[in-house]
Amino acid sequence: MPKKTGRTVVNVAACGALLLALTACSGGAPAARDIDLGPGPAAAGTVKKGALDGVTLTFASYGGIYQDGQETAAVKPFATESGAQVLSDGPTDYTKLKAQVDSGNVTWDVVDTDAIWAERQCGKLLMPLDTTIVDTSKLPKDMVGKCSVPAMTYGMVLMYDKSKFGANPPKDWADFFDTAKYPGKRAIPGVASDAAPGPLEAALIADGIAPDKLFPLDVDRGLKKLTSVRSSLVFWDTGARSQQLLESGEVSMAMVWTGRAYSAVKNGAKFAPQWNQFMPVSDSLAVPKNTKNPKASMALINYYLGADQQAKLTELTSYSPINSEAEPKLDALASEYVTSAPERQAQAIKLDNTWWAQNQEQIIQKWSDWLAN
Amino acid sequence: MTALIEIAAPASGRRPKGVGGRWGLLLLPALALLAVLFLVPLGLMAWRSVTDPAPGLGNYSWFFTSDVALATLVRTLAVGAVVTLVTLLLSYPYAYLMTVVSTRARIWLTLLVLLPFWTSLMVRTFAWVVLLQDSGVVNQLLGTVGMGPLQLIRTQAGVVIGMTQVLMPFMVLPLYAVMSGIDRRLLDAAQGMGARPVTAFLRVFVPLSLPGVGAGALTVFITSLGFYVTPALLGSPDQALISQQIFTQVNGLLAWGRGGAMGVVLLAVTLVLLGLVGFVLRFTRTRGGVR
Repeated sequence: MPKKTGRTVVNVAACGALLLALTACSGGAPAARDIDLGPGPAAAGTVKKGALDGVTLTFASYGGIYQDGQETAAVKPFATESGAQVLSDGPTDYTKLKAQVDSGNVTWDVVDTDAIWAERQCGKLLMPLDTTIVDTSKLPKDMVGKCSVPAMTYGMVLMYDKSKFGANPPKDWADFFDTAKYPGKRAIPGVASDAAPGPLEAALIADGIAPDKLFPLDVDRGLKKLTSVRSSLVFWDTGARSQQLLESGEVSMAMVWTGRAYSAVKNGAKFAPQWNQFMPVSDSLAVPKNTKNPKASMALINYYLGADQQAKLTELTSYSPINSEAEPKLDALASEYVTSAPERQAQAIKLDNTWWAQNQEQIIQKWSDWLAN
Repeated sequence: MTALIEIAAPASGRRPKGVGGRWGLLLLPALALLAVLFLVPLGLMAWRSVTDPAPGLGNYSWFFTSDVALATLVRTLAVGAVVTLVTLLLSYPYAYLMTVVSTRARIWLTLLVLLPFWTSLMVRTFAWVVLLQDSGVVNQLLGTVGMGPLQLIRTQAGVVIGMTQVLMPFMVLPLYAVMSGIDRRLLDAAQGMGARPVTAFLRVFVPLSLPGVGAGALTVFITSLGFYVTPALLGSPDQALISQQIFTQVNGLLAWGRGGAMGVVLLAVTLVLLGLVGFVLRFTRTRGGVR
């Protein structure tokens, strides 16, 4: 390289670095230590008035009616009360989050993410919860992680075609796998990059394992059972697709999220839920590591968990509230799909999120290989 | 389109004259843009493939020992080949028709190809989902003529249909560009010398149109290797193409090194194939004495 060009390159690089340094210094004021969230223990759903004047936060979630609901129920009221300016972004993307944390330029302050993923990334990409700011006393204990709180709850439920099996509905996951007694296609989640609770648990139960002896999961046995009905399986990769499969009547049974099941039935799908052995799941709220304003992020999470906010979120999205004191006003159909109701909880299968978090990486590899074969 | 044709057929004996003098400076902004937005990320990806998570060739040895990864690569190439062939078979007569009809009809034919081209890929793919699903329009039509519902979606066939529709303009346009430049009097001359119309077409027109075929086929094939949305929506996971596998590694497992290695392998395979095609074209041209 000629000398002159070399010098130019160095100059340009230096200017670039200077520019980066300048932009890094501006923004984000006031610094985290200046924030006073008031005395006493935090109470979910509250924030000190005007405590975050001049602070800008970004809330990232999955978009659609879910994020709209989150914004109306919690994020916008939080902004009004605290004085913070809250921006929205999304959809949540692990790659983007990793890039932000790795480069030290974190622009997402609170992120709605998958609960198991949050557990897995605790301390790596996500920072521990500050329990002096986030009040978790009204949340189900087993759903609160070290780095995350549940954002709402829903479930993986068995839906069946009423017009085909109305007289003799499938009773459990064993029936889901019984293609002789209940002919027709079955929809199950099938995202290669995201092995999640559902298909493996259902397969193992259908293969004769007692629901309370599921963990540690025998992944190979589960996959073998799934292989036995492979020709009847249809894989959905997004919630919208699962809903479309129910509405178009392409399948006679489906393993889908309760929110989508509700939307499909509301749109006229001739399906009904079998709540026996449904699997409760949740999204999680977490704060990325190296965020500019952790205190403000925690304050937003704490506000989000309030009973009123959770009730409103449920009314807007049909996901179930996570705060035990939330009392959403729902119409008859929507209340049929609330998973947090005690009678539903009694029918639920307990999932071991910690085990999933520890093993998910290996499972994703096996799962994506199985799917691709 | 000329540029594409040059890439496909570099052996015409004409070398582009060096971009002379000060006019060459006009290239600089484009080159700078390419360097910053294409070469740098590409280099970073290649670098990551040999450093993440540990320095060495671990990611590559993983790729070449993983049955699934290799099968996906082969499947991606096979789907690309099938799509290229189907696109060619559909586009050749179409482009030919464009050269023989009136100007007015030609405008319509061009619009017919370009309008879908200007529509979002996502929208078009969703439209195919609606059309091809078991209870979709296509299957209903098939039902009325007594053909049982066919499994069109979530199969390789569905993926090929969707990709073909998306890629057809890339075949039709270069074909038309070359065919419209072919002197029809050559065909008349061939017939005047006693050739039947079919013979004249096959022995005069088809060889002269080959540069267009090469350019179109190459563009379609290479573009098809990077398809993500269409196979994700119209195929099933067991028909996954390599871009979907890369997504799994990068997004699901945050294994950026492996994702990078897969990208580098795909790039290398593509370049090798490009080289091969260039070689074959040069060979057939010198032997066939075209032009």
